[in-house]
Amino acid sequence: MEAIQRLAAHVKSRMGDLIRHKKQGGKIVGYSPGGYLPEEIVLAAGAIPVCMARGGDHTLVELAGAYVCRWLDTFCRTQIAYGASGEDPYYNVLDLLAIPITDNHVRAVSDILSYHTGLDIFPFGVPHMKEQAASDYYLHGINRFKEKMENLCSVSITEQKLKQAIELCNRERELFRNISLLRQANPSPVKGSDFVALHHGSLVADKEFMVDVLEAVYRHFQENAPLRESAPRLLFTGSTLAIGDLRVLNLIEGYGGKVVIEEFAEGLRPYWENVSLDGDPMAALADAYFTRRVPPAWFRPGTERLDFLLKLAGDYTVDGVVWYHLLYRESYKTESYYFPRRLKDGPGIPMIVIESDYDASEAGQLSTRIETFMHTLRS
Amino acid sequence: MSEYYDTLLELCDFTPEEIDGQRPRIEMAIEKIGLDRHDFSRAEERVSSQHDIALRGVRRLLRAWLLELLDLVLSREEGKKVVYYGYPSIQGPGMTIKAASTIDLYVGCPDVVLCHTLGQIFDKLTPILETAEKGGLPPGHGLCSLQQVRSGALALGIVPVPDLVTGSSYFCDMGSKADELLHEIYGHPAIYVDGSMDSDWGAYPQLPSARIKYLGAQIDKLFATVKDLLGVEVTPQSSEKAMLISRRFFSGLGRLTKLMAADPMPVSGVESGLALNLAAASTGISMTEGAEAIELLCGEVAARVDTSEGIMEKGAPRILSFIQPFSDPSITHMMESAGLALSSSIVTVPPPKRDPSIQINTLGEERAEAALRDLYHSGYGLVKRFEDAARRMEVDGVLWGYLFNCRPLAQYSHLVKQWVEEKTGIPTLSLEMDIYDSRNYGPEALKTRVEAFAEMLRARKAA
Repeated sequence: MEAIQRLAAHVKSRMGDLIRHKKQGGKIVGYSPGGYLPEEIVLAAGAIPVCMARGGDHTLVELAGAYVCRWLDTFCRTQIAYGASGEDPYYNVLDLLAIPITDNHVRAVSDILSYHTGLDIFPFGVPHMKEQAASDYYLHGINRFKEKMENLCSVSITEQKLKQAIELCNRERELFRNISLLRQANPSPVKGSDFVALHHGSLVADKEFMVDVLEAVYRHFQENAPLRESAPRLLFTGSTLAIGDLRVLNLIEGYGGKVVIEEFAEGLRPYWENVSLDGDPMAALADAYFTRRVPPAWFRPGTERLDFLLKLAGDYTVDGVVWYHLLYRESYKTESYYFPRRLKDGPGIPMIVIESDYDASEAGQLSTRIETFMHTLRS
Repeated sequence: MSEYYDTLLELCDFTPEEIDGQRPRIEMAIEKIGLDRHDFSRAEERVSSQHDIALRGVRRLLRAWLLELLDLVLSREEGKKVVYYGYPSIQGPGMTIKAASTIDLYVGCPDVVLCHTLGQIFDKLTPILETAEKGGLPPGHGLCSLQQVRSGALALGIVPVPDLVTGSSYFCDMGSKADELLHEIYGHPAIYVDGSMDSDWGAYPQLPSARIKYLGAQIDKLFATVKDLLGVEVTPQSSEKAMLISRRFFSGLGRLTKLMAADPMPVSGVESGLALNLAAASTGISMTEGAEAIELLCGEVAARVDTSEGIMEKGAPRILSFIQPFSDPSITHMMESAGLALSSSIVTVPPPKRDPSIQINTLGEERAEAALRDLYHSGYGLVKRFEDAARRMEVDGVLWGYLFNCRPLAQYSHLVKQWVEEKTGIPTLSLEMDIYDSRNYGPEALKTRVEAFAEMLRARKAA
């Protein structure tokens, strides 16, 4: 599709854009994925947000061994290696790295990069419960972040600028939501890998360019109804789907499966909730990004997300669930034990659990397991 | 008439009259746990060889652990309400709840109790761990073995399903998630005490008021739930009572730490671990017998210091360690046999004093401030605490025995060593361990690196 190719070309040349922006005195703000950093604040300060979401390469996992033991989440070790080795152009171009601290794996990225690099790192806490005190704490964190951005960019983030940024980001979320909802149809007009490519592109792309691409993609899918197909429809969920970590998705599609809905804590942009334009914009950001957002597995308990997965499974009429988490991410590992029973008792669909350390040696086993799962779903 | 278990209990300072008085309880607990006479014979041998039972203080501590085991295992049969808390970070509120209790209430950390009794004394932890591995906490995934102990013991019916469980969501992700798993299986209520370790690198000991306020609100929520569910109301008076007991306990531990700095080291780190962890795991026996046992031990150790009696040769390199293994004392003995005097632990070196300008509004905030000032401040706080303690204790080396499956610690696997050596020049060994489950991290597995470290320190001292 032309729009997706246009996005790929934009992403390819994005580093050049960032360097030019920096040369003109602009600021680049990196942030860890997880959906808890309101890009609106960065945009309202006139800086460019870039999500540090690359992964999938075991070389980096090995490189991380110079900085930390192996018992941390694979994606987080990858970020440590990218950041601390000094070899990653995205980390090298940053003026600030904002890290919403969601769990201990992410905290490790913040602390280890703080020690080993000269990066200006801004950690702020994401509580693990939805209570008033927790919402207040999150709001306190993003208010501190706003202040940090104002100092970094020597600007005042006005309510007007913030609302403009919210409108732009809302449009992006709305388009993602609309495209996603098209997939409730059977057959779905959208390939899972295309939808993921849009997400991954959006994590680094210029926001207005991205909205333009999404508009074109949405029009395309509205106008082009798919042919009939008999592929098993899948819910693809887990801890992290990094930019570059497409092995499992490719295997699913290679064996004839169709991902019609995804839910990942990191690597995909949360798009279900828009930010209200009424009232105090900072409170509205906290409300959408924290309170109304379906939380990842590191919330205690993870019930809201599991209920949401059951709802998605029903809304998108899926035949099975592919649960993909990275090694040592204990929150997902623990839930993967008892969620299949809920699926069985509820919609009565099967689930496969895939775990990875980005290691090429996993390829054969992964391939066999996914192929077998697809056979099971068809039989 | 004596029974096969009497000898062990006498080794652990029970009098024959006490044994007779406790016999029905002991036999019921033995049956529930599934111990037999061979287990007791083996335990006698283990206690005699692994513990310094010439010291009555050590025997009193072993007794306290066994009494705690009885209280835990029989709590339901004895009509108690049962509250479990997570290790390490909910002990303070746990003690406060126990001190407030007007009903028959068991409050404790079952996993730590089982490590020190079924692990350390009986060497019977493996079946419990294996049970947990089949029940949602499989091996090979870096999942916390302490949580496996709790899960396995519940599955085997060794410990009762609690009326309430509370976990330290502000430090550890795994504890809360394991609580959630157990809630799925057993349905008991779980209260998560949340927080966020999000201080800036370099910001220690400064403590943002927002962190105190949030964690304080969470601890107050726990107290409110305890009142709703169990009818136990935490008051300033009960909190003060808990503080007084803790102060006495920790004052004893502080004295023991100072005594252990003597050359030669007068008693094994195994015994200081027995004392330290009793405070962490128990709110019952530790309240009634703990402080007295530690004071007795301190008196005996002081007498050894006065006569220059030690368990190691004079001049052995003195080490600041993290914490002694809970379940397998042979690991600490291996380190001491290699020539390392494990004279101090980061846990017993006091944190900085409270900043008087910090405003405290609730009991929860009181507890939150104390926790956050200590090891739960931040990663930077952890490395700074190691640096400061290594200097203060004037040690020859630091042994950073991080738990491989404890994310809040394992993430600093390399950093503690790098930081301490960079800032103090004190050699530091970063040693991957599992202090709860020694199946993969037993003394033989660790010995080569420990011996090399000890040799290097001796050479350094001699130079």
